[in-house]
Amino acid sequence: MTDADLIARVLTQDDQNAFAELVRRYQSPVRAFLARMTRGDAHLADDLAQETFVKAWKKLHTYRGGSKFSTWLFGIAVNEFRNVARQRKELALEEIDEVASEENQSAADTRSQLHLDLTEAMKRLHSGERAAVVLCCQNGLTHEEAAQAMDCPLGTVKTNVARGKEKLKRWLLGYHDYEPA
Amino acid sequence: MIMNQPETGDAVEKLLREQNQYVNDDGFTARVVAALPRRRRSWLRQIVLLGAAAIGSILAVQWLPWGSLLSLDSSALLSLSFQVLVPWMTMTVVVISIAWAVVAALQWDE
Repeated sequence: MTDADLIARVLTQDDQNAFAELVRRYQSPVRAFLARMTRGDAHLADDLAQETFVKAWKKLHTYRGGSKFSTWLFGIAVNEFRNVARQRKELALEEIDEVASEENQSAADTRSQLHLDLTEAMKRLHSGERAAVVLCCQNGLTHEEAAQAMDCPLGTVKTNVARGKEKLKRWLLGYHDYEPA
Repeated sequence: MIMNQPETGDAVEKLLREQNQYVNDDGFTARVVAALPRRRRSWLRQIVLLGAAAIGSILAVQWLPWGSLLSLDSSALLSLSFQVLVPWMTMTVVVISIAWAVVAALQWDE
């Protein structure tokens, strides 16, 4: 059964089983996306994901089918994250200052930085870059779809993806270049 | 964590895709379904509102004293006579209420 079939059943029959099938199909990418956005806070990510799907249930009649259902769903998830980020300072914190960390850190700090894995590197990205990279590079959305989900200009998404990937490349190469003593 | 050495932006993208692992449901779907609110039927609300407006209109035409309204000229307004103002205010309230119900029904979008 296609997404469109399931959506039609939800709208015409209030079929919760059909909606549950939609949740089963998309819970993994939505929860993974929100886990990245909350810098690994799985509990908060799941709360936001649940709220995302409840909002989707309430607003499903406004989904016109002009975009993929996943794109529409990611759009709700992005809004949920933005709403909570306005209230929680630790989520609003943006990218760690690279220059300061490179100039001032001790040897131990250097070792720590070089051991960044992808998860840690993603946490250091600006939230706009992180969202764009996760949506486009991990979930396969086109730049246009990501711009729609993030409700921002196409150029901003392209810039965020390029910058995010460049930073990740630099940080992860640092990890591989590091030779333990 | 063991990683392939990323040499280009595409290698980073490959790494990102490789690490995009499936998140097990672990009861998540059941929790979402349990949290779903009862969906309000907007069409039912529209029908109720339009129906109420129609019935109100019929009753207003049948029962309100349209023919016996005193003329509402400036002297009547200035006199603040209840005999003149109360029927007019009643009519106005009824007409506004009916119009409000119709507009609410037509504009309703959950």
